[in-house]
Amino acid sequence: MGRHFRPQRVYQTASSFLATNLIPGKAGEAAPAWLKAVESIPPAELLTRPYPIQHTAPNPRAKKPHNIFRPTRITYPEDELRRDFYRDHPWELARPKMVLELDGKDARYRDWSKGLRQPGMPLSGESVVQRQLWLMENTPGMSKQMAYDIARREFYKLRQQEEMERRIAQEEARMVGAYFGKSQIQIGMELEDQTFEAWKAWAGQEIARIEAQRSAAYTSIGDMPDEVVAEDGEEAEAVGAGAMP
Amino acid sequence: MIIRNFAVRHGRRALAAPVPLSSLRALSTESTSMRTAVAEPSTSSPSPSAWSKTPAKADLDRIPENFHKFQDYQRQTQSLGSKVQLRYLPDEILKRPPTDATLEDLMAAQAHIGHNTSLWNPANARYIYGVRSGIHIISLETTAAHLRRAARVVEEVAYRAGLILFVGTRKGQTPIVVRAAELAGPTACHLFQKWTPGTITNRDQILAGGILQIVDENDRPLEGFESHLQERRPVVPDLVVCLNPMENYTMLHECGLANIPTIGIIDTDADPTWVTYQIPANDDSLRSAALIAMVLGKAGARGLQRRKDDAENGQVNWETPRDVQQYITVEMQRKAAEIQRARKEAEGEDGKPLREDPLDNETFRELLEPPHLR
Repeated sequence: MGRHFRPQRVYQTASSFLATNLIPGKAGEAAPAWLKAVESIPPAELLTRPYPIQHTAPNPRAKKPHNIFRPTRITYPEDELRRDFYRDHPWELARPKMVLELDGKDARYRDWSKGLRQPGMPLSGESVVQRQLWLMENTPGMSKQMAYDIARREFYKLRQQEEMERRIAQEEARMVGAYFGKSQIQIGMELEDQTFEAWKAWAGQEIARIEAQRSAAYTSIGDMPDEVVAEDGEEAEAVGAGAMP
Repeated sequence: MIIRNFAVRHGRRALAAPVPLSSLRALSTESTSMRTAVAEPSTSSPSPSAWSKTPAKADLDRIPENFHKFQDYQRQTQSLGSKVQLRYLPDEILKRPPTDATLEDLMAAQAHIGHNTSLWNPANARYIYGVRSGIHIISLETTAAHLRRAARVVEEVAYRAGLILFVGTRKGQTPIVVRAAELAGPTACHLFQKWTPGTITNRDQILAGGILQIVDENDRPLEGFESHLQERRPVVPDLVVCLNPMENYTMLHECGLANIPTIGIIDTDADPTWVTYQIPANDDSLRSAALIAMVLGKAGARGLQRRKDDAENGQVNWETPRDVQQYITVEMQRKAAEIQRARKEAEGEDGKPLREDPLDNETFRELLEPPHLR
């Protein structure tokens, strides 16, 4: 569709229409209601490509830099820590995550000096990463690995507590009459049974098919051995009868 | 957790005797009397069970008593358990529109989320902050600056009684667009369905049956313009605000042809030259569209308020449209001619006019022949 110029030039077009007066003595075009507004508030600059924000320092040794006008990748120090954590704990990715933000000021409600549990945030790998980063930055003599181990162990303790609470809550509920749906093991067993039954049926069909194939291979010579035996039997009887005096 | 019976969840004797005790399990761990009751055989209860299909007369009589007990237990127990708070309601922004959008508001509304880097329009490079997770991130400072500029335009146009059209044709944008037009006042309107091609360029056919009003500076309808409203051309908007320019190319093209300024939400894959005032933001998120539309609607409300305040003081910063002016002039001349004819008829025998000649009146003469037409 190409570049469009009319939207940017509405003010200039309207002014030139107003300026022309084809019939002297008669009033020209009336100024539109938006004219004064657009006059005092011109449209923004367009179609220029300024040098983009550099999120990482450009390579100083590069003789000829490439793609200097391309937007650069945004990176944070937490990215590496997240990669390491989720590589070590892949099942933490299976936990559901809330992406909805309320007022956008989440970072202001967090104080990572106080521990992993923060208001308005569930316990997750993100807590570990932020705690680790805080430890790395605010504790003298703290290495990345040390901070990771400290944060990780706090995390394990809290997860264990959650597991225990869950287990005890289930026990208490069962004691007072609650019943639950099928457990994962039960579901797994049922699925296995279904698959096995399906396989059994298939196996029976396969056996029947192979039997039919095999018997079909011998169909044309199947009667002959029986006829030959019958004839011999008759002859033998006749011979036997004749031999007897 | 599935609880079989309300009585089990909420207490001791929520339902009366008809329920066989063997089908209940004791809830409270304090009293041991309940536990012994559980061990009794089911043959102890003489009356038919509550689970039977035809309840006895005694059961029906107990219903009011049981219902009051039920309500008591509900009242006692409704404050137990977690307090579920409704922290985010999508309608909240429509009910309490914000005057300005902070960078945090814009981020929470996902206005910074652009499209995949391979789908971008390089003309939008100036609005992009960087690349993250394979998508372009729109710079929120740029968004805020452009949004404020657009808001000023909307405010000024509303102040000068310009007709503002809010357009949002995507699914879910209807209430947003309606509310924005509502805020901006009687000179604003909305569109939430497909723009009929030709609504501006072919408006004499498409908008033929449209309802129009002639109003004074206090937005009160004026009488005497019925014939004009039937004959006149349909109006065009003075400003068009589009929440999804990617789906409204025809409309924006017509606005360009008719020389109408437009405001549009420009995503990283959109063409910024289609609109006069760009607002670089995410057009795919209803929350971001709502935030932007509400800010613009509130700006329109401010312009409306200024216009109303001026009108109360007798100050009018807008002109009567040329076609209405011409109609007024023509009507006045026609009426003057009628009066003259009537005067001539009424002259009769003595040749003297019965009433003062209106054409002798200074003010009336000026109304008939306005200075710019002389």
